[in-house]
Amino acid sequence: MKSLPYVIALVVVVLLVFVPWVASDVMMQFAIDALLLAVLAQAWNILGGFTGYVSFGNSVFYGLGTYGTAIAMAQYQLPFWVGLVLGVILAVVCALLIGFPILRLRGPYFAIATLGLSAAMGAIVSNMPIAGSNIGLVLPLVRADTMFYELSLGLLVVCTLTVAWISRSRFGMGLVAIREDEDAAGTMGVNTTTFKITALVLSAFFTALAGGIHAYWISFIDPASAFDPTLNVRMVIMAVFGGPGTVFGPLVGSFILSTIYEYLASSISTAAALLFGLVIVLAVIFMPRGLANMVGGVRAHGPRFFLQNIRENRL
Amino acid sequence: MLLAQILTNGVLLGGLYGLMALGMALVWGVLNIVNLAHGAMIMLGGYAVYFLFTGAGIDPFLALPIAIVGMFAFGYLLQRFVLNLIVRSAMLNTLLITFGLNVVITYLAQLAFSADFRTINPSYAGSNVVVGGITVPLVNLAAFVIALVLAGAVWLLLNKLALGRAIRATAQNLVAARLYGVDPRQLYAVTFGIGAALAGAAGGLYGTIAHLTPYIGASLTAKSFVIAIIGGLANPFGVILGGIFVGVAESLTALYAGPTYSDVISFGLLVVVLIVRPARSLRAA
Amino acid sequence: MNAAADTAGGTPILRAESVTKRFSGLVSVDQVSFEMRKNEILGLIGPNGAGKTTLVNMISGTLRPNEGALYFEGQPIDALAPYKRAHLGICRTFQVMKPFPGMSVLENVTVGALFGRDGGETAMAKARESARDWLDFTGLSHRIDARADSLGGPDRKRLEFAKALAMGPKLLLLDEVMAGLNSVEVEEVIELIKKMRERGVTILVIEHVIKAIRSLSDRVLVLHHGQKIAEGDPAAVLEDPQVVEAYLGRRRH
Repeated sequence: MKSLPYVIALVVVVLLVFVPWVASDVMMQFAIDALLLAVLAQAWNILGGFTGYVSFGNSVFYGLGTYGTAIAMAQYQLPFWVGLVLGVILAVVCALLIGFPILRLRGPYFAIATLGLSAAMGAIVSNMPIAGSNIGLVLPLVRADTMFYELSLGLLVVCTLTVAWISRSRFGMGLVAIREDEDAAGTMGVNTTTFKITALVLSAFFTALAGGIHAYWISFIDPASAFDPTLNVRMVIMAVFGGPGTVFGPLVGSFILSTIYEYLASSISTAAALLFGLVIVLAVIFMPRGLANMVGGVRAHGPRFFLQNIRENRL
Repeated sequence: MLLAQILTNGVLLGGLYGLMALGMALVWGVLNIVNLAHGAMIMLGGYAVYFLFTGAGIDPFLALPIAIVGMFAFGYLLQRFVLNLIVRSAMLNTLLITFGLNVVITYLAQLAFSADFRTINPSYAGSNVVVGGITVPLVNLAAFVIALVLAGAVWLLLNKLALGRAIRATAQNLVAARLYGVDPRQLYAVTFGIGAALAGAAGGLYGTIAHLTPYIGASLTAKSFVIAIIGGLANPFGVILGGIFVGVAESLTALYAGPTYSDVISFGLLVVVLIVRPARSLRAA
Repeated sequence: MNAAADTAGGTPILRAESVTKRFSGLVSVDQVSFEMRKNEILGLIGPNGAGKTTLVNMISGTLRPNEGALYFEGQPIDALAPYKRAHLGICRTFQVMKPFPGMSVLENVTVGALFGRDGGETAMAKARESARDWLDFTGLSHRIDARADSLGGPDRKRLEFAKALAMGPKLLLLDEVMAGLNSVEVEEVIELIKKMRERGVTILVIEHVIKAIRSLSDRVLVLHHGQKIAEGDPAAVLEDPQVVEAYLGRRRH
């Protein structure tokens, strides 16, 4: 019973592997973008979904992954994989350095501190000559969408497997205990500092990899795109819309929202953004615990589920 | 002399920053809602004054009260019919819904007002007075004074009026509000309305000093948040002081480190303040 | 009655040496010293605001004393984070019950088994197994899959006990676990505490229900305005004029 979602996921992954042989160029663009965004949402989920520490600054790690790859390839003509490793190292070191001070902050304080860090990081990078200052860096151009696609898909699978492991492990229980009540978790023997930092490092690891792949694929980066603040918000919303702290919620959420966004953006971009905002507002009102919870709730209670949510949370 | 000029600019700008943050601090402190649409409401206030000025020929400073009343109504309705539905939900959800509102307001504004830069530009916009070699722009000075007056009004409201006592009681706990014979749903809406009205006032003043675009909301929200934390949520004058602190820090950073860093400095300050202050005291805030 | 405690002898399991805690000038706990022997039940009583919960917070590690020192099994513990004290076997319940609200009853207790004494059980399956056992022990196995925040008062107390027990405590700190229970439920909790002691656990009980203190405690310690005003045999201490006055003084307000 519980393994059914995994069987479905396996079938879907196997089908997805063959997409490059049937999809058009435009569809490949969309697919790679959607896969990488899903990785970001899933990586955010490790910290935000399980420990409840809402980061609005994961673009720090994304940007470091991006720049690690770009600097290695554009400035030192090193191969792609060396760049990826460099980007990951930068992101993980950064997570360890900032983790100790900022993970002591809670709730909105943590959220805004991370937002501030991502803004600061953008400004710092745009003043570094080795990172191309505020002009950016150009990477060697390759036309290999199939490789980028399979790489992104692979990354998403590994990231999701990691989350699946977390959700069933002692580590994951500790993270959820921290989310539910951090003080109580501490007195029950959870080493909260180590657990939170480990979650942050894992999140940074996958986020940086997505950034590195994206940099090589796009072949041009600058501070504005690498540390894009709207990216922070998009990954949070995708994860939360789908169901934070679940294995498949962030995936489903990000694919649905990517599709809506893509569809609308191709017609009128302002309307797309507007609808995006409306979806968030309505989702919070009618399904405050995400899609994953809604599916179960509607099955159990029918449409009354939505009214119950409002009754529970209104004044 | 340059330093004195920079400090003066920073203080005057900072007063306005404080006013921006005042509404956010009030709503946060009383309703426990971190309103990520606060900057978008500042933006709306700016456009309201802009159109009253350019469309109806009303002087910006006379248009300000109209914008304040209009924004109060906007905030009241928003809380009464939307945000009241979720106030007991998790903190994350209030962050998300106000973020969503920020997006909605921003793009509605873009549809209605276009993305063009606008400035509220009355005939006296460039006038200065020179005091002891320091140039003081009149508009900035007026904005500073109005910010102080409004902070004083909020202080009076919270400390001297029955409504204010009910609002402060609500900040302590919801049940206490009922003891004052007030429907908490009304009280929440009124408080949020006041927050929006303050945002509207700040926006109108901001438009006389800087450019308006539909997109200024996000960065103003962030700035307001920083100031609300530095200034504290309890005392309106503390918030104004926080604003002045950030205004001065920004001006000095622009002078010594270059303008790229001036937007970042408030965040830098925030991170430092958050980390230096022990985490325990923050939890209670 | 306190034969078990006497025979244990050796190092006390817990020793407090003139422990003091101040909050912005106000002295909450003032130079309190006491010892707990292995496997005894110590009743900690005193009017509201006497500093009882503060003392428990210092033992469990959520607060640090300004002065004085605490020793657990002879080893100083003041520098240890709460989670390390849990690994040593110091477990507590909270006056305001703190289940993990979004988790099921079973998951709540499993957390205890996974992270308790010596870092807990590492295998999920074993931890769940032992969590089930403790839910049986506390009589909560019928609510095993319920969300913790859906439990009523008495069941919440049972859950709190089960969580603490699953951690494999050597020293259990019970902060007003009987508040708000009717007399039948109080009786059940008393039985539960006695059963825990039979398993070798040393227990500190903070309680306002004097009847319970009388029937449970080997010894009683009384705090008033942060100071220890009496310690010893329950019957004698509860007759002590100073103690009676402390309580009457409270009632007059």
